[in-house]
Amino acid sequence: MLTRTFDKVERILQKYDYRPEMLIKILLEVQREYRHIPREVVNYIGVALGIPPAKIYGVATFYAQFSLKPKGEYTILVCDGTACHMEGSMNLIKSIEEEIGIKPGEVTQDLKFSLDKVGCLGACALAPAMVINDEVYGHLTPEKVKEILRKLKERQVE
Amino acid sequence: MKIIVNGQEVEIRDDARNVLEALREVGIEIPNLCYLSEASIYGACRMCLVELDGKDIVTSCTLAPREGMVIKTHTPKIYEIRKGILQLLLASHDGDCTTCEMNGKCKLQKYAQEFGLNMNRFEKISKKKVVDTSSIIVRDNGKCILCGDCVRACDEIQSIAAIDFAHRGFETQVVPSFEEKLENTECVFCGQCVAYCPTGALTIRNDMDRIYRALENGKYVIGMIAPAVRASLQEEFGLENDTAMAGRIVSVLKMVGFQKVFDVAFAADLVAYEETHEFIHRLQSGEKLPLFTSCCPAWVKFAEQYYPEYLPNLSTVKSPQMALGSIIKRYYSREIGVNPEDIVLVSIMPCTAKKFEAEREEFQGDVDIVLTTRELVKLIKSTGVDLKKIEPTPFDRPYGLSSQSGLSFGRTGGVLGSVVKVIEEKVNVINVRTSTVREGVQLTEIELDDGRIVRGYAVFGLGNARKLINDIRNGVVDADVVEVMACNYGCIGGGGQLYPNDVRTRTKRAKILKDTIGLDVLVSPTENFHMRELYNKYLGQPLSHESHETLHTHYKYRKRIEVAEIDILPLPTEESEKVKVSVCLGTSCYSKGSYELLEQLIALTNREEWAKNLEIKGTFCVENCGKAPNVVVNDTIIDEANIEKIKEVALDELRRKKGDTEVSKSNV
Repeated sequence: MLTRTFDKVERILQKYDYRPEMLIKILLEVQREYRHIPREVVNYIGVALGIPPAKIYGVATFYAQFSLKPKGEYTILVCDGTACHMEGSMNLIKSIEEEIGIKPGEVTQDLKFSLDKVGCLGACALAPAMVINDEVYGHLTPEKVKEILRKLKERQVE
Repeated sequence: MKIIVNGQEVEIRDDARNVLEALREVGIEIPNLCYLSEASIYGACRMCLVELDGKDIVTSCTLAPREGMVIKTHTPKIYEIRKGILQLLLASHDGDCTTCEMNGKCKLQKYAQEFGLNMNRFEKISKKKVVDTSSIIVRDNGKCILCGDCVRACDEIQSIAAIDFAHRGFETQVVPSFEEKLENTECVFCGQCVAYCPTGALTIRNDMDRIYRALENGKYVIGMIAPAVRASLQEEFGLENDTAMAGRIVSVLKMVGFQKVFDVAFAADLVAYEETHEFIHRLQSGEKLPLFTSCCPAWVKFAEQYYPEYLPNLSTVKSPQMALGSIIKRYYSREIGVNPEDIVLVSIMPCTAKKFEAEREEFQGDVDIVLTTRELVKLIKSTGVDLKKIEPTPFDRPYGLSSQSGLSFGRTGGVLGSVVKVIEEKVNVINVRTSTVREGVQLTEIELDDGRIVRGYAVFGLGNARKLINDIRNGVVDADVVEVMACNYGCIGGGGQLYPNDVRTRTKRAKILKDTIGLDVLVSPTENFHMRELYNKYLGQPLSHESHETLHTHYKYRKRIEVAEIDILPLPTEESEKVKVSVCLGTSCYSKGSYELLEQLIALTNREEWAKNLEIKGTFCVENCGKAPNVVVNDTIIDEANIEKIKEVALDELRRKKGDTEVSKSNV
C-alpha cells in the first residue's frame, strides 16, 4: 500500500519535472489516480515542490474539479441545469438515494458510487440527463436510473 | 512632486510607493482595511478609493503618484461606496464587539463608528464560524473580513504560509492546510498575523485571569518585564517619549499584589555574557560556526522545522525569559525561603511566541504565566490607575539591574551588539564597523588583533533570515555569528505589542527604547555587578557545569506538519520497552534508497534478538533533504543513514532505556 502510494506520486511529479507552476496539472493527475486528493499526498507534493501545504489546500478547494473526499469507482453526475431541472432531475436524485442511499456530495461506504449534482452538461436535448464515468444517459426516469444502477452493481459482483 | 489633493496643491515624496502612502505623510489617512506597507499591494477591500482627475474612481493603494494628478479623497460618491462596503462586511460579520479581544482597537469597528453606521440595510447572513483555540493564537473566522493581511504577513514577510485562503466565494476562509488546528502546523507563533489583523479574527489567548487566581490562592507572585514592553505603552496612556515607563509598570504591578518585579534586561546581560563565551569558545576551538542566537522562540521553532542541519549552530544558552525563570526557581526561591511550587512567575513580554516557549516541554515549571503587552495594558486599565500620574518604582534587586546592552535586546541588533561589547573586553579588537546590507540585514565586522575579521549579521523577519541562511549554506555569505529576530525591527514589533503595530509605530518605539537605553550608566554586561555576583555565588565561570545546568538548553528537529506516522512494524509493547525507528520516505530520501533501508531494517528485526524492540515507522520529510537518506531514532536524526549507523544509535537508545546490563547480556 505504502510503496504504491509514493511510487504513483513520484511518477506524476517526475513527469512534470517537479515544477511548482505545474501544480494544477499535478493535482489533476493525482485526482485521476486516487479519485480524490489525499491529505498525505498534499503534504508530499508540498515538500517536493517547496509549496506550503496551506497554499495547495487553497488551490484544491478553490476549483470545483478537485475533491478532497474519495469519489466512487462510479462517479454519477446528475445534471441540474435549467432544462434537466424542468424535466425532473430532482426525482432522479431521489431515486438514486433510494437505490444506493447517498445524497449529492456523498460516497457509498464501499466506495463504489459517488453522487454529485452539476450544472448544465450541454445535453439539454436528452434532458433529464446524467453521466457515469464519461458515459451519458439521457431521457431518464427514476425507474431507468434504478435499472442502470442495479446493472452496475451486478457488474461489481462478478 | 506636486499633486492636487481636494483642491489644494500638496508636495509629496517622489519615491512614494502609492498615493495612499504619499497622502499618509501629508496628513490624510485614507480609510483602508487591507493595506500592509511591508507586503505586496492587494487592493481587495476597496475602502481606499479616491477620485482621479475628476472622472475615475480608483484604489489609492494601487495608484502610482504622478506630477500634477488631481485627487479627491472624499466625494459624496466615495462616501456612499465606502459606507456600502462597510455595510456589506458587517452583514456577514460576527459583531459581538463587547466580548471581542479587539474591542476598541478594531479597524472595522472604528470605521463603522466614523461612518455612522447605526443600521444596516442588508440582511444579516452568518458565515460558517470556526473558532480555533488550540494554540496561543486564537482564530475566529466569524470575524474575518478576508483582507488577507495575515496571509501576506505569514507568506511574504515570514516565508512560512501556515495559513492561506481556501474555498471560494462566500465560503472563503483563511485556514491552515486541511483546516488543521494551528498548533499542529508549521506556525511559529510570531504573532505577526495578529499584529496586522484589523479585526478580532486573530487574537492572542488572554491569560490575565490566571494571575488573579494565583494571587487569590496566596501564591508568591513575581513579575519580570522585557525591554521592549516599556517602549510600547506610551501612546496608550497619553505619554510622550517617557523613559520612566518600566518604573511605572513596576508600581502598578506592586499595587496589584506582585511581591517582586525583576527586569528581563538583567537576564539579557547574563545571556549575552554567557553566549559570548560560547562564541569565543567555538571560535578558538574551531567548533561549528556561524553561531546563531537563540533568544527568539519563533526563530528557534523556525530553525527546528526548516534548518535542522543548523541546530548544532544554535547557541545553547536559553533566552533571557527562560534563563531568569530557572534562576528564580533554582536559586532565588532558596534565598527567600519559598518553595518553588509556591512561586508564580509572570513574564511580561512583547511577544506571542514567548507563551509558546514557556510551555515547551523542557521548560515546564520555570515561567508560569506569560502576559503580552496588550494583556498588561488591560491589567493596568482594569485597576483604574492612571499610569501618567503614578510614581515610578525601581526594579527589585538583585535581578533588577541591567546595562545598555541588556536593554538593547528589545530591538534588532541588540543581541549582536551586546556580544560585540563582551568580545571587545575578552579579546583585543582593533576596529568595529557596522553597515546595512539591505532592509532587515545588518553586518558588523570586528577586526581582531591577529588580523582575523569576525563577521556578525543581525537580521529581522524570518523571510530575511531564510534568505541569509540559504546564502550561508550556499557559501555566498560568510558569517561567524548571526542574530535572528522573527519580527520586523526586533521585539519592539512583537506580535504581542499594542495596536497599531505598523512600521511607523515600530520606528517610534525604537526611538523611545534608544532614549531609555541612553540613560543607563552601565554600558556592557560585564559592568553588571549583580550579574557577576550571580556567577560568584552560584554559577562559577561562564560555560561551567552549573551554568550549563541552569542556563543552557537543547533543540530538537520538528516536522512542519504533524502527520501521523505510518506504522510499518508496530509493536504492542510498552512505550518504555521499545525504540522508535522512523525512516523518512520523502522525495530525496526515497531516491537515495530509503526503501532499501526499510527492507534491511525489517530483515534486522527478524535476524537479531535485540532488534525485536524496534518499532519501525515510515515518516514524511524530516526537512533534511541535503543529507538524505534520513532516519529518526526516537528523537535523534541520523543523516546519510546506513544500516550500521542506525544499529549503533538504536542500540545506544535501547541500552539507555533498559539500563546497561540487560541489553548487553542478551545480544551482541
